Amino acid sequence: MRIFTAVVAIAAGILILGGYFFPAFEGMQALLLNWAVILAGAAALVGIFNLVSVHTDKIRRQEKGSVYSALLLISLVATFLFAMILRPNHATMKIVLSGIIIPVEASLMGLLTISLLYAAVRLLRRRADLTSIIFLVTAALLILGSATLPFGNMPVLGTFVGPWITQVLALGGARGILIGVALGTLTTGLRVLFGADRPYGGN
Amino acid sequence: MVVSLDLITGILSFLFTLLVFSYLIGDNPLFRIAVYIFVGVSSGYIAAVAWWQVIWPRLVYPLVFGSMLEKGLMLVPLLGAVLIFMKISPRLAGMSRIAMAFMVGVGAAVTIAGAVAGTLIPQVMGTINAFDLTLASSRNVNLIETLFNGAFVLAGTIFTLTYFHFGARPKADGSMHRMGLIELSAWVGRIFIGITLGAVFAGVYAAALTAFIERIVSLINFIGNFL
Repeated sequence: MRIFTAVVAIAAGILILGGYFFPAFEGMQALLLNWAVILAGAAALVGIFNLVSVHTDKIRRQEKGSVYSALLLISLVATFLFAMILRPNHATMKIVLSGIIIPVEASLMGLLTISLLYAAVRLLRRRADLTSIIFLVTAALLILGSATLPFGNMPVLGTFVGPWITQVLALGGARGILIGVALGTLTTGLRVLFGADRPYGGN
Repeated sequence: MVVSLDLITGILSFLFTLLVFSYLIGDNPLFRIAVYIFVGVSSGYIAAVAWWQVIWPRLVYPLVFGSMLEKGLMLVPLLGAVLIFMKISPRLAGMSRIAMAFMVGVGAAVTIAGAVAGTLIPQVMGTINAFDLTLASSRNVNLIETLFNGAFVLAGTIFTLTYFHFGARPKADGSMHRMGLIELSAWVGRIFIGITLGAVFAGVYAAALTAFIERIVSLINFIGNFL
């Protein structure tokens, strides 16, 4: 089984990569990607089933907070049934999107305003080293620079310092971070394709 | 009495915004109710989307209404989906490894291609193009300014990359140290990383502030409609 799973992973990876280099593999690549999308959809359903079973267990054991689990299950089942019957694009289902999902997401994002400010103050208290100070000074300069005044942008800060920091200094750092992340991703992907890493099980 | 969908949406939006903002006075049951309902509703919605936009059109429809060839080709993902569903049972979970291995293999190949074509090449080309004097003159940008800014971008890229170089040799006393030049470059890299993360923080803060203001305005507008 260990060898078979490794062969499946390596073969699938090589065929997909082959599609990027050889036109003859393009059809096979499209087919395998379609299969992967289907399996990802099935995996999403399994994940949601796992969420249901975890919260059902909580309710059955009458653990602390099981009332919230019951609310979660009721809302999950109701939404799922309505969306299965009406389909997700139905006008009634827009109530769920525009009335619950988007407002809660936007409100949680809004809460970040307070959380981030608190985190910044804590950072300065706990680790007042050079990197932290540069981090906070940059953030403060850019936030102040982006403030719109009645007569236009903040002079110097908004017109020269802010754009120079974002378009030159931060760009260089971001490029370094992105290239570093890409190199790490490339290495990890190649380790999977060579069978050195087997995150699907099988050591 | 007919209640419009817009009114229901408005009331729900108002209520859930208030419930989430109740977190500003500390963690409380109202906030938890909102978050648990949000998770439940989102999961139910995602499950339905997964069925109607992935499983049904890509798997079930071709299996039922497709040609013989399509039906034959869909037997493989059908078997894969069955294997993945075996994850639900602890006794049969091991069988799902085959399907997981397939997904990991595909994912690895797609990420390799994405990392090379989507990040490495464009970022390296972007760093090189920062010195493109022809492009700069066509945009009426001063050549000295172009070289000056390009040098900073190049330095930032190299020093930041050096920061992620973790190769170190043990010394006689057992301590680990990087080479002097690399250590110095990494130190400068830390400054660039600090500036970059500060810029990212400022961007996220601006987005959060915008969301916060939008929610407050929506609360005021909703109340205003009834006054």
